[in-house]
Amino acid sequence: MLEKVIEGEKKVFMTGNEVVACAAVAAQAEIMYGYPITPQNEIMHYWARLMPKYGLKFLQTEDELSAGFTTAGGVLAGRRVFTATAGPGNTLMQEPLSMAEAMRLPVVVIVQQRGGPSTATVIYSQQEVTMTTLGGNGEGLRVVYSTATHQELFDYTIKAFNTAWKYRFPTFVLGDGYQAKMRESLTIYEPELRGITMVPTEPFVGRDGMPGVDREPTHLRNTYNVEEELYEVLEKYLADYARVAPKIAEYEVFDIKDADLVVISHGVVSRACKAAVKELREEGYRVGYFRPITLRPLPVEQLREVAGKTKQLLVVESSNGQLDRLIKEAIYGSTAEMLSLFKPGVGVTTEEVVARVKGIKG
Amino acid sequence: MAKPVKIILAGEGGQGVQSVAEIIAEAANEEGREALYIPNFGVEQRGGVSVAYLQIGDEPIGAPKFLIGDIVIALSDRAVRRTKQYAGPDTLFVYDSSIKDIENELPKNVKKVLGIPAIEVSKKELHPRVFNIIIMGAVLKASGVVTVNNAKVALEQLLGYKFEKDPKLRELNYRALERGVELVGQHIVEEGMLNGSNLQWTNLGSRKGFLDTVSGPL
Repeated sequence: MLEKVIEGEKKVFMTGNEVVACAAVAAQAEIMYGYPITPQNEIMHYWARLMPKYGLKFLQTEDELSAGFTTAGGVLAGRRVFTATAGPGNTLMQEPLSMAEAMRLPVVVIVQQRGGPSTATVIYSQQEVTMTTLGGNGEGLRVVYSTATHQELFDYTIKAFNTAWKYRFPTFVLGDGYQAKMRESLTIYEPELRGITMVPTEPFVGRDGMPGVDREPTHLRNTYNVEEELYEVLEKYLADYARVAPKIAEYEVFDIKDADLVVISHGVVSRACKAAVKELREEGYRVGYFRPITLRPLPVEQLREVAGKTKQLLVVESSNGQLDRLIKEAIYGSTAEMLSLFKPGVGVTTEEVVARVKGIKG
Repeated sequence: MAKPVKIILAGEGGQGVQSVAEIIAEAANEEGREALYIPNFGVEQRGGVSVAYLQIGDEPIGAPKFLIGDIVIALSDRAVRRTKQYAGPDTLFVYDSSIKDIENELPKNVKKVLGIPAIEVSKKELHPRVFNIIIMGAVLKASGVVTVNNAKVALEQLLGYKFEKDPKLRELNYRALERGVELVGQHIVEEGMLNGSNLQWTNLGSRKGFLDTVSGPL
């Protein structure tokens, strides 16, 4: 029996990349596939460091296309596996991830967003929202958790494996360079102690028994001969997704009851927005806070409810409206005024959010 | 909601500002306080100005970066130019007094600008390698975010294996830490005597900094 990575629970102080590696081990992940790219490199480093002690495996591939396909391969073999990437690596990985969508493979991908387009910066952004939620040639049949704290990075990395294996959709933890590199405290724990049972994995190929006799034959496809054949499969997948979306969707909300302006943000930017809303409330501004934790599927019902009650929505993000577009689609028909604070590729501070709201409210 | 103390440390790559920020953050965390430290980083492997953002408080920290620091410490001329944007009316701006021809570049309209001879002290009295530990002492004195004793514990945890081999190193690091505390403390006393005023800028955190002990009528 291999040693457990965490005995019970303990408070730690570490970087987000360390948190992810630690969470993946706690979630009983077996193999990481990856290709180096800043700012996610240390996930690979820490995983590789923990590897011998916990009997884990790591494969460094020749590029992100290969990292994505080998991750899909690990899943086909029935292993709990994951990969991590960022920026241009995320772009390359969309092709294998599109195949994972086509085959309903429960791959888990950690994305630490960096500046774009292209190589841009290795530092930080929220510019991989569109690509991570809707990338590839397909219909965005994926789950995307956008974390804001190290505690959430730990919680949702564990959860991503279970969501992926339960619903069989590729699942992403969308972090960013700030979360990757910063240090703060969190509590790490054995999932079982919190009542979390890891969803068992099973092989897609090489199963026991004679195909067609003892069991249904395995028929994994990403290619179809006729339009109708593809359409029939997609109809089923889309219906599956629509059915489970409300169960998967998560959000965080406060102070919206009497709010005539609600600040909407996601990920690390929500930390600035949360502090700003609290500060503005203390000064008597009637502002509220809403944060989708899942960017795909969005908590559509709750968003529409908020949009229906308030007069103004202020979308704050480190991109030029990638979250904003998703929100507008979700609340289509709402008459709330849409306002924005977009800082593509740059962090957003509490001071800036406070100033923007005061600018609006006069 | 009590706001955290916001500190910016900036210097040339190799001056050790990132390790100073990290050690202080770890020490604060050990004390049971909330701490968040984030380095800046770019595509360069070395060279360039290195900036560390550090926040310490008693409630979970909000955004990792901020526009205005309570304490900004710049250790080279480029670092001064880079970080003066983070200085506001309530900022204590500390720079190394050996930086030449920098007077006109120093931020105006801040609470206080303080030049300390950390580089000189490290070279003449101690060892250039403990320059960053002197800076750490200066940060602790200016901010009061962590006690000197707890900083020593953090140093011990980080460098204990080196100290075991050469106990003189421990002594050197401790002395550097204490000299850093003195360099800032000294100025406060002088300033206090000049103005006969309360040094309001010492009261940065929700928790009393140990500067509070010298901030009465002097």
